[in-house]
Amino acid sequence: MTLLLENISLTIGDVLLVKSFTITIEAGEIVTLMGPSGSGKSSLLAYIAGDLTHPMYGNGHATLDGVDLIYVPAERRQVGRLFQDDLLFPHLTVGENLLFGVGRGSLKKRQHLVAEALASAQLDGLENRMPDTLSNGQKARVALFRALMAKPHAMLLDEPFSKLDAELRHTIRNYVFAHLRERNIPTLLVTHDREDAPAGGRIFRINNKGELLLA
Amino acid sequence: MKLSRRDLVKAAGAAALLPLFPKAGFAADWAALEAQAKGQTVYFNAWAGSEPINAYIAWAAEQVKVRYGVTLEHVKIADTAEVVRRVRDEVKAGKVEGSADLVWINGENFRAMKAEKLLFGPFANELPNFKYVDTEGKPTTLVDFAEATDGLESPWGMAQLTFFGDGAKISAPPKSMDELVAFAKANPGRVTYPAPPDFHGTTFVKQALYESITDQSFLPLPADKVEFHRAVAPLFDLLDSLHPHLWREGQQFPQSQAQLKQMLADGELLMALTFNPNEPANLAASRELPQSTVAWQHRAGTIGNTHFVAIPINSKAMAGAQVVANFLLLPEAQGRKADLKIWGDPTVLAAAKLSADEAKFFATSVVPGSVTEPAPALPEPHGSWVPLLETAWLESYGT
Amino acid sequence: MKKILNSFAGFLPLGVLWLSPLLAGLLAVLYGGLDGAAWLALFEHPQLWPALVLSIGTGTLSLIISALLAFWIVAGLYGGKLWADCSSLMGGFLSLPHLAFAIGLGFLVTPSGFIARVMGSLAGWAVPPQWVTTQDPYGLSLVAVLVLKEVPFLIWLISALLARPDISQMLKGHFRVSQSLGHGGASVWLRVFIPQILPRLKWPLLIVWFYGASVVDVALAIGPTQPPPLSVIIWADLNNADPAINARGTAGALFLTTALVGLALVWMVLKKIAVPTIWKFFTRGPSRRRTPKITSGMLLLFFCAVYAMVFVVLCVMSIGTLWPYPNLFPTEIRWTAWQQFVLSPAPFLNSLSLAFASTLAALGLAVFWLETVPEKLDAALLVFAIMAIALPSLLIADGQYLAFLRLGLNGTWLGVFLAHLTPVFAYVFIVLKGPYRAFDPRYRSVSLGLNADNYRFWSVVKLGMMKPALAAAAAVGIGVSIAQYVPTQLIASGRLTTLPIEAVTLASGGSRPLMAVFALMLAVVPALAFLLAARFGRKSL
Repeated sequence: MTLLLENISLTIGDVLLVKSFTITIEAGEIVTLMGPSGSGKSSLLAYIAGDLTHPMYGNGHATLDGVDLIYVPAERRQVGRLFQDDLLFPHLTVGENLLFGVGRGSLKKRQHLVAEALASAQLDGLENRMPDTLSNGQKARVALFRALMAKPHAMLLDEPFSKLDAELRHTIRNYVFAHLRERNIPTLLVTHDREDAPAGGRIFRINNKGELLLA
Repeated sequence: MKLSRRDLVKAAGAAALLPLFPKAGFAADWAALEAQAKGQTVYFNAWAGSEPINAYIAWAAEQVKVRYGVTLEHVKIADTAEVVRRVRDEVKAGKVEGSADLVWINGENFRAMKAEKLLFGPFANELPNFKYVDTEGKPTTLVDFAEATDGLESPWGMAQLTFFGDGAKISAPPKSMDELVAFAKANPGRVTYPAPPDFHGTTFVKQALYESITDQSFLPLPADKVEFHRAVAPLFDLLDSLHPHLWREGQQFPQSQAQLKQMLADGELLMALTFNPNEPANLAASRELPQSTVAWQHRAGTIGNTHFVAIPINSKAMAGAQVVANFLLLPEAQGRKADLKIWGDPTVLAAAKLSADEAKFFATSVVPGSVTEPAPALPEPHGSWVPLLETAWLESYGT
Repeated sequence: MKKILNSFAGFLPLGVLWLSPLLAGLLAVLYGGLDGAAWLALFEHPQLWPALVLSIGTGTLSLIISALLAFWIVAGLYGGKLWADCSSLMGGFLSLPHLAFAIGLGFLVTPSGFIARVMGSLAGWAVPPQWVTTQDPYGLSLVAVLVLKEVPFLIWLISALLARPDISQMLKGHFRVSQSLGHGGASVWLRVFIPQILPRLKWPLLIVWFYGASVVDVALAIGPTQPPPLSVIIWADLNNADPAINARGTAGALFLTTALVGLALVWMVLKKIAVPTIWKFFTRGPSRRRTPKITSGMLLLFFCAVYAMVFVVLCVMSIGTLWPYPNLFPTEIRWTAWQQFVLSPAPFLNSLSLAFASTLAALGLAVFWLETVPEKLDAALLVFAIMAIALPSLLIADGQYLAFLRLGLNGTWLGVFLAHLTPVFAYVFIVLKGPYRAFDPRYRSVSLGLNADNYRFWSVVKLGMMKPALAAAAAVGIGVSIAQYVPTQLIASGRLTTLPIEAVTLASGGSRPLMAVFALMLAVVPALAFLLAARFGRKSL
């Protein structure tokens, strides 16, 4: 699994936000993208995931396992995402949230998958709870596992730690990175906090000309 | 509805006040009454579904304003029962100055108001113009649905069940219930009548009752519940044989005569019915129906009656109301009302009682849509038949 | 202490003008229902059970179909180019009273109606076809009118909900997550959006349900007759001359209401049991089905076409005296109906004066309440407001009639005004409450800091910022007042005629051109109010 981004540019009206950006993210690698707000880093993720909206406009290729994603509908790209908010569905239980992206299968098999995921997230027995009864840390872990259980071939993280308090932030960060590396998923992380970047990983920064430079 | 003690006290109070009301109407001093009426406003509660009627009442309002200084306000109502209910409630609540001064009324509503003593009078027979009324030739001017009027209502117009359709489409109009069944068979889905308890629908059922039984002597008497079902069995045999050939196979019925009329005009039906023998001619004159319109009555006669105006007991313009009632009997007013171009409501007056000048107000000419062979008017059955007939009809065809 | 006094002062005018008439009506109708003979007579009515089944059937069917179509259209168009047009069009359609719509649609679809004429002129039918359209025995034409009218109402509510920043933000996030988990647009609506929107619409849905099951004027114009819906039987009973039959009508109104409330409770229990099972199905796995953009667009087009045709047909009807089948246009054009309307403008003026007075009073009462009473009491008032709207108007109006009788208010302008205020205030309060309570109190501090006094802050800043909400509430109030048939008929007791009263009277007896004129006028006033509100509201944004 490799995510290849080629010559990606983003414009809003006549203004160029990102200028032909090219990078290859290897399996299990976590690349960090930094920049001030409004610099277009979140829009870059939206372009890759397939939900860039008017008036933003994108150009270029994102190839995953040799397939050019740009011609694939968003729901078929198998690109997982995490956001600032956990975005758990408030009307579904934890178990139903986790199974939301899992294909059809026998009830037994699905129950097993949930139990397995909750065990590795150290959330055993919470499958019938509603999301709003969970702590912030628990919610963040459910959101991560919900994304992982859909078996993504790449992950896009959009400041997923920014709303967590300092202590939790550190734990969750390491936890997420560990799981992504374990599953060999190529990952692009967007943040404005250098602390969030994994140690030793590549870090890019968008300058005011829209160029992405290795920091 | 329950009466509380307070209601009773109030009602008694209202009754006690009655002797204080002006008695001028009963006396011969008509001039004094007219003087008293001057400046009064009379709220005339009258059904207002038809433009010609509204226009005629508007004309009457202009006339009484000029002639007597009485202001006549037409309170447009959809159903006279509303007025009965209102007057009853007002009297019950002890409201001496009621909201209605004159009501267009007959039949059940009159019976209810008379029985509950909600009417002012007797006054009708004292009206100067009552002398023109054809009480012999038109006995229904004194007996309203088998109920004596006792001078509590003043006759205004005549009505008789009449059928009509487009003569270009109907060669031989059915002039009896049996012929009607045959006609409906030959033209399935093109004949119907409004569902009771609509007034026209109930009248149609009464007409069918008249024609389906041989002994009609018990019809003017109060109906007996036990005997009723035996007595009306032939009626329901007749309706059973008619209904399968009606519009929507007799499963649904129009709600009103107006709807029937509209369906005839639109060509959905071949014939309609009315209680005003002059209505078909009137509709042809106003171009709502074609010039080839024909109207007919059943050979053996059709149900007929009179409609009246009455004064509620809590009217606050009794003098004005009597002046208006008297005006409505004036040959000029009756003649205008009978004019097909105006309204076309048959007069209650006797032609023989009119002077030559007065007779001039009545134009006589055969126009498209007028009834060419008038049949005798059959008196309405006793009012107690109506609820029984309506319930029996609903039980048989209403579900 | 001062706070309590303040709340009391805020409560006082509302208590006198709105709450007392509402409660007096409910108590009077309950008291009227203590008549045992009336209940016996009701249960002996040969049409009671079939009519009840018909009422509940048409109400339920119209609710289900309306909700399905509304969500179908919203799911396909939300976020697209047509969405803004769709929601403003629906707001416009919403303002057309049910009765006017039923009259126009009736003439489109009857066997001698406009559609049959077009088809007949193509196929050469000499006589009108024997279609079963209006007054069909199952009330399907009644359902059709209700659906065509309720879909705009529901879409308008959904679009207001989706326009709320918190909700649109949340749903946007949910959409992205769902997509990344492999769900297509249709799947997201079905599994994520609708389950979250529906609970927020529970009161409007209940109102739509009860309205459909208890409506009188529309059922009179287009509903089945043998048996008619229960509401029509009750209505005839309430207007009868015989007090015993009036009492049966009161019992009937209570019976219908009890049946509806009972069913609503049964549904609440069923929902607790059924909904978790239903969601098990929805969580079985992603579906990539996309939203039905084309069918939604076509549905929107269909709605526009029907509304446009109803409008055109009403206009033509109003000037066509003689219009025999199969002519596509009247053979004679006359303006008599319009002349008559102009010459006797009382119904129109009464409707206008009642609409303006009740709306102004409702706005005043609502603003007064919102300014003086703490927010936590809103919930209690809301309960009464929902009661005033959701309970069948037959029930409340009959109760108010019985109560007003003792006060001598029947047949007076004041009585009719109070009867109109009952639903008008309820709607105005509900529309105004959200935006008013969302007002950020820090604006006051800022204004006072800029040397503005309290009055200046209130008149310039707060009212200025509330202008769109006030304009929308006023338009809703006027639309609600104009459409009132049942309470006006009962309370006015014939002393005061209004547009819907004339329209129903004409539908029962007469002139089609004049009926069309009244239907059009019934439509024009609320439509103007909505247009003005949209213009007025937007300007200040």
